[in-house]
Amino acid sequence: MKIGKKWYTSLALIVGMGLMLSACGSGGQQTTGSGEKVYVIGTDAAYPPFQMLEADKISGHDIDVMNAVAEAGGFKVEWKNTGWDPLFDGLDKGTVDIGISSITITDKRKEKYDFSEPYFEANQLILVAEDSPVQTLADLKGKKIGGQAATTGEEVVKKAFGETYEGWKGYDDMPSSVDDFFNGRVEAVVGDNGVLQYYVKKIENKKFKLIKDDSFEKEFYGIIVKKGNTDAMTKINDGLKKIKENGKLQEIHDKYFGNK
Amino acid sequence: MDWSVIYDYRELFIRGVINTILLTAVATVCGTLLGLFICLGKMSSKRYLRWICSIYVELFRGTPMLVQILLIHFAVIPSIWEVFFPGQPNPEAIYSGFVALSLNAAAYIAEIFRAGIQSIDPGQMEAARSLGMSKGLSMRLIVLPQAFTRMLPAIGNEFIALLKDSSLCAVIATQELNYAAMNVAKSTFERYPPYLTEAAVYLVLTLFLSRVVVRGLEKKYSTR
Repeated sequence: MKIGKKWYTSLALIVGMGLMLSACGSGGQQTTGSGEKVYVIGTDAAYPPFQMLEADKISGHDIDVMNAVAEAGGFKVEWKNTGWDPLFDGLDKGTVDIGISSITITDKRKEKYDFSEPYFEANQLILVAEDSPVQTLADLKGKKIGGQAATTGEEVVKKAFGETYEGWKGYDDMPSSVDDFFNGRVEAVVGDNGVLQYYVKKIENKKFKLIKDDSFEKEFYGIIVKKGNTDAMTKINDGLKKIKENGKLQEIHDKYFGNK
Repeated sequence: MDWSVIYDYRELFIRGVINTILLTAVATVCGTLLGLFICLGKMSSKRYLRWICSIYVELFRGTPMLVQILLIHFAVIPSIWEVFFPGQPNPEAIYSGFVALSLNAAAYIAEIFRAGIQSIDPGQMEAARSLGMSKGLSMRLIVLPQAFTRMLPAIGNEFIALLKDSSLCAVIATQELNYAAMNVAKSTFERYPPYLTEAAVYLVLTLFLSRVVVRGLEKKYSTR
C-alpha cells in the first residue's frame, strides 16, 4: 500500500507544524540583550479613545498612561494587540505580563488577577435616542440593549434585568453596538463614559443623548497582572504614583477628554 | 472547573439552540430554492443569465462567510433601510443571519445541483424531448428526480456545514448557540464547561441531521 509509506511523512509534518505554532505562542517574559526584562503589555485596541488602532499603531489614553508609568517606574514594555478575551488567557498562560485595556476593578476579576491602584474613574452611561423618554436604567426593562460583552456595561444590565436577560445583545466590540444603535437594532447602549463621550465628539449629525443613572456605582480602571506577580505590580504602582504626583496623568486625561 | 454555570445560564443555551435550528432551517429552505434557480440560470442558454449566476456563485463561494455576515449586517441592510424605509429600525440581527446564510448556501447548493443534473445521461433528456415533453417538463419530471437521488449525500454535507457555520452569526450578536457559549465563557471565566457543552450540542444536532434526516431522505428516494 502506498499510503503506508506516506503516513509518517504526514505525521512528521503535523508534529512539525504543532511545534512551530507552540513556539509562536511563547512570546512573554522576554529579556533584552543586557538582560533587562521587557514586559509584554496586552490590550484590546478596539475601545476608542482608551485604546485604538491608528494606521497599524496602537494608541490612546491607556497607551499613553502605560508608557508614562513604565518610564516613571523604570521598566521596558512591548505592546501586543491581543483582543479582549485572549488578553486574560494570555495573562493566565504567561504570554502576556501586564494588561491595560480599560479594565474595571471588580471583585470577580480580583479573584483571578491583581490590580494596580486606579488610574481612571469611570461611570456607566446610557446612550438613547434624543426623544427617548428613558431616564434611568430601569426604564429600559423589556427593551433591547446593546453593549460590549463581558464589560461592566453588561454587568449592570444583567444585574438589573437578570443574568440571561433576552434583550441584552453583547457585541464583540463597542463600535459595533453603537452602529446597531444607529441602525435601530437596539434601543439603547450601556457603556463606559469615556467611550460614549468620545462618540458624542465624533458623531455630530446624529440625534441621541447620554443619560447618567445615579444608581450606577462608580468604577475605577486598573492595570492588571496575573495573581501573585508582585514584582511587576510594585513597579507599576511605583510609576503610577509618580505620574499622579507630577501631573502627567491629569495631562493625559485632559488630552483625550478635555479638562472637565 | 465549575459545570454549574451551564445550569445557571440554561436559558441562554436553550434560546441559543432554538435560534441555531431556526437559522439552519431557514437557510436550508431558502438556500435550496435559490440554489436551484441559480443552477438553472447557470445552465441556461441565455448568455447574460449564465454570466450573472456564475458571478454570484464565485462571489459567495470565494469570500469568507464571516465577511459576508459582517457586510450584510453592518453595511448592506442598513443601506437598504436608509433608502427604502428611512427612519425605520433595521431588522434584528437574526434576519441578517438568515440572509447571509441563505445567500451563501445557495451558491454551494447551486453547484451541487449542477453536478447532479450534469451527471444524468443526456440521453434521458433527449428521450423525454422526443416523446414530446417540453424542456421544462422533461427537466422537472425526468432529469431532476434522478439527479436529486445522486445529490442527496452532497446536500446533506452542505446542511451540516450550514448548521456549523451558523455559529459565525455570534459576531453580530445573534443569540444562537455559539453566542450563548461565548457569553457564558466571558462572564464566568469558565472555559471548558461552556465550550464543551456547545460542542456536544452541535454534535448532537449534526448527528441528528446526518443519521436521521439525510439518511431518511436517502432511503426514501433510493432507486435501489
